[in-house]
Amino acid sequence: MRVPPIRCVQTSTRIHQTLVESRNARINAFVHLPNDPSPRLTSIDGPLPGMTVAVKDNICTSGMPTTCSSLMLKEFSSPYDATVVKLLRSAGAQIVGKTNCDEFGMGSLNKYSVHGPVINPFGESEGRSAGGSSGGSAAAVAAGLCDAALGTDTGGSIRLPASYCGVVGLKPSYGLLSRWGVVSFADSLDCVGVLAKDIESAESVFDSLNIHDPRDPTAATQRIREKASKSVLSDFLDSGSLSGIRIGVPTDYFPEELHPSVVNPLRTLLIDLRMHGASIVPVSLPSTPYALSAYYVIASAEASSNLARYDGVQYGLHVETPSGSDKRKLANVYSHSRSRGFGSEVKRRILLGAYALTADAFDNYFLQAQRVRSLVRRDFNRVFRAPNVLSAHSETNQAGVDVLIHPSAIRTAPRLDEGVAESKSTLDSYLQDVLTVPASLAGLPALSVPVGLGEDGWPVGVSLVGQWGHEKTILNLGKVLGVSKSSS
Amino acid sequence: MHRCMLSLARQSSRWSRSHSTLAENASGDPRWFGWQVVVGIEAHAQIKSRKKLFSDSWTNDPPQPPSTRVSAFDASFPGTLPRLNSTCVALGVRTALALNSNVQRRSTFDRKHYFYKDLPAGYQITQHYAPISLGGYLMLANCMRKVGIKQIQLEQDTGKSTFDVHLGKSSIDLNRAGTALLEIVSDPDMSSPEEAGEYVRTLQAVLRSVAASDGNMEQGSLRCDVNVSINKKGEPAGTRCEIKNLNSVKNMQVAIASEVFRHIEILTSGQEVKQETRGFDEEKAETFSLRSKEDAPDYRYMPDPNIPPLLLTESYIDKIRSSMPELPDATRERLLAQGLSAQDTGVLMTADAGREVGMDGTFGQGGVVAYFDAVSEGRDPKIVVNWIVQVLFGQLAARSQTFTENQIMAAQLGSLIDMVQSGVITGSSGKLILRLMLDNPSSKTPEELAKEHSLIALDKGDSSMEAWCREVIGSNPEVADAIRAGNVNVVNKLVGRVMKKSRGTADALSVRKLLLEIIAAKGA
Repeated sequence: MRVPPIRCVQTSTRIHQTLVESRNARINAFVHLPNDPSPRLTSIDGPLPGMTVAVKDNICTSGMPTTCSSLMLKEFSSPYDATVVKLLRSAGAQIVGKTNCDEFGMGSLNKYSVHGPVINPFGESEGRSAGGSSGGSAAAVAAGLCDAALGTDTGGSIRLPASYCGVVGLKPSYGLLSRWGVVSFADSLDCVGVLAKDIESAESVFDSLNIHDPRDPTAATQRIREKASKSVLSDFLDSGSLSGIRIGVPTDYFPEELHPSVVNPLRTLLIDLRMHGASIVPVSLPSTPYALSAYYVIASAEASSNLARYDGVQYGLHVETPSGSDKRKLANVYSHSRSRGFGSEVKRRILLGAYALTADAFDNYFLQAQRVRSLVRRDFNRVFRAPNVLSAHSETNQAGVDVLIHPSAIRTAPRLDEGVAESKSTLDSYLQDVLTVPASLAGLPALSVPVGLGEDGWPVGVSLVGQWGHEKTILNLGKVLGVSKSSS
Repeated sequence: MHRCMLSLARQSSRWSRSHSTLAENASGDPRWFGWQVVVGIEAHAQIKSRKKLFSDSWTNDPPQPPSTRVSAFDASFPGTLPRLNSTCVALGVRTALALNSNVQRRSTFDRKHYFYKDLPAGYQITQHYAPISLGGYLMLANCMRKVGIKQIQLEQDTGKSTFDVHLGKSSIDLNRAGTALLEIVSDPDMSSPEEAGEYVRTLQAVLRSVAASDGNMEQGSLRCDVNVSINKKGEPAGTRCEIKNLNSVKNMQVAIASEVFRHIEILTSGQEVKQETRGFDEEKAETFSLRSKEDAPDYRYMPDPNIPPLLLTESYIDKIRSSMPELPDATRERLLAQGLSAQDTGVLMTADAGREVGMDGTFGQGGVVAYFDAVSEGRDPKIVVNWIVQVLFGQLAARSQTFTENQIMAAQLGSLIDMVQSGVITGSSGKLILRLMLDNPSSKTPEELAKEHSLIALDKGDSSMEAWCREVIGSNPEVADAIRAGNVNVVNKLVGRVMKKSRGTADALSVRKLLLEIIAAKGA
């Protein structure tokens, strides 16, 4: 197709819009497409001129709804833009719409959504999951409806859908991208990240958002960012040689549930990496078996706290107290709105989290989970070569590895109607998180890159995990993987 | 946590201290029929900062129309995050130092969860696990008691909800939501309503002196919850009840007394006091049950994942320590050391506590003690305090004014006192000039005013004085005769007439002496 001249931009935009709408009707990636998608307050001089970027629906956008895929916020529009959205606009990007997700980011199949599930665009007719919770963002990119999309990742919500949909997904280090305007699921784990068709696009979006925001109290300071960037690896980009690079394979990341079809592409990749000069080193992260339980306690506890604000009083869904019940009892006023406004998965986690915080359970659950979390962090700091700049006790370890590599998911995208028995499917989706949760607990950067297809012909993703602040190392290595993939 | 109830079970350790400190109260208070009263106070002082504890919005000071001082964070909109206001931290540290408390190098913030309509987030950010300061004490000057401070924590205030009975609806005003509070928890070291009252008043004075808070109970910038228990001497502490929402020192004292009597009645009838949270009915002057221990909610305290630990360096704390103002105790001691009576000192200090408290820790200007200090520079402090307490306060009171409305500058009062002391004007002229200065505030010196109104005292040998004396004697021959007959006291009648003619410029003693001389000379 010929590039239309400038004066036809509006017409072409309209045509594009129609194409997007018809494709989206089949995959349900977007939950809101603005009527006027022309750039608003965008800068043509910015680093992302004209780039089309979708935004997950749990990130606040003024002028568009922010529903978090919840009935509770179905009619909610935020009065302000999240910092990351503001930065996108000023970088020249065009915000093309809001994407579907699991309710408040809770889920790994993107089926807990008031807007309905997202259909994986890799093969719409098969009715497979796009993964979650950032399923809409991954699907929109995979279907070519945008150049990149913002997602959020609390325990794998970017990496898993990236793997299922065959796109690139970057979960940055905790504290790099601003959370101001990102609707909290679990504040100590939530990270904004990028889904994109290639590493270069993901990197350029990440670069324009990677700025200290004083409105985010957990943002890493400029000094810490600079300190971390000193040990970033990039030499191999020019030479193409990975000589001296040590790549760790965590032996604890290969549970029974791991499907052989995702192991084979990884095996091929490792052979390839070794041919390029890298050392492949088996490493042990012994706290991994406990990480998932710790994650669910911490994430649910924080969720139960963060979602307490949705009470139907100021904004969001309000269900009238049925006549006859005593309105002076506050529980009667709140419970109807909250019972109706939240979906099953959200309710499950609120209950679990509220229990973990009760006086009787706090020590055994919440505090215990925090202890496991610090063990998980220590595991990582022990295996990496570079020190963790956030930890006073972490030192350079020449015998350590530069990057960890492991499958992004235990399988390729499952069918949405798979596992009818609710209890079994719930447990399976929890297991799906086992590979992604440790990096979230430790706040480390992780990049899922598509590395080919599994036996069923569906995309398989591999994750690269780096030391805190080493986004450039994993992005650079990812680029090399791209080269080796096309050359093999 | 002023309104929401404390978790009694969890915080019981706060009050579990042994009461041996009360042993000296051996004779016992006859009001309590041999029982010992144990009182502890949890005070919530609103920090006088321009901005709220975690948001950029202005505080509601002075009060604004409902919900006009609310940011997206205050209203708990999705996606908003807290940012700690360092001014509130500094004022917390200042208060802690003033209460001899140990400022913690590391403190943390926690979420306390409960559902209430004026708490939009569903939780209050407070310092449950690691407060900003631990320990300390406050000396009570009158009852000579040292009250221990258990801890001080920074926390958020809630919004305000008001219920309209006719409409059956609640209105919520979020102006107050997110304002900084200092929770100051005392040990159970007080043994009477009066001591509790003195504790609160002393605390108010300290808060105001360090410019941390207005500390005004009536206006709600200081709110107190009181814990009361009674026990027989030598026996373990009794079951305590907490009384909430007390809005004045007087009500607090009445509430404590009525609660003590309630406990005495229960215990003497052989029943047990139930641990509970109670309210206070002002009309009936008695407390009523709000909630039993069993109904105490579980607040599910959780470390706030958004707020990093608050780390204070020793040099930060030292810097605040070195810029501390003089505290009320030190002021009292200094004034007494200058020879002021305890009563005058008390009057000065009480009036001083009424001075304006500045925003964001700006020390209050225009206090009485500072005024006294300025005037007594190079002058006899006892004479100065007399002028301030007796004359100036008297005149202000007659005008229904407070000291903040005083327009006489320290320099003016100083030279006025000097003129009287050196005899340039008489004492009564001095008082007249002070009245003139209050009536028509200006920058005129007392000398200028004295001249303007011909109030310069006459010399003893002034010829007009003798003329007035002779004139008065001449027109009152019967009085002069009475004096000559030995009734000397009636001379005062003549003195008064002369003084009137002199318009106060004559010295009464000299006039008396001169009158008697003239009468005696004539008679001879």
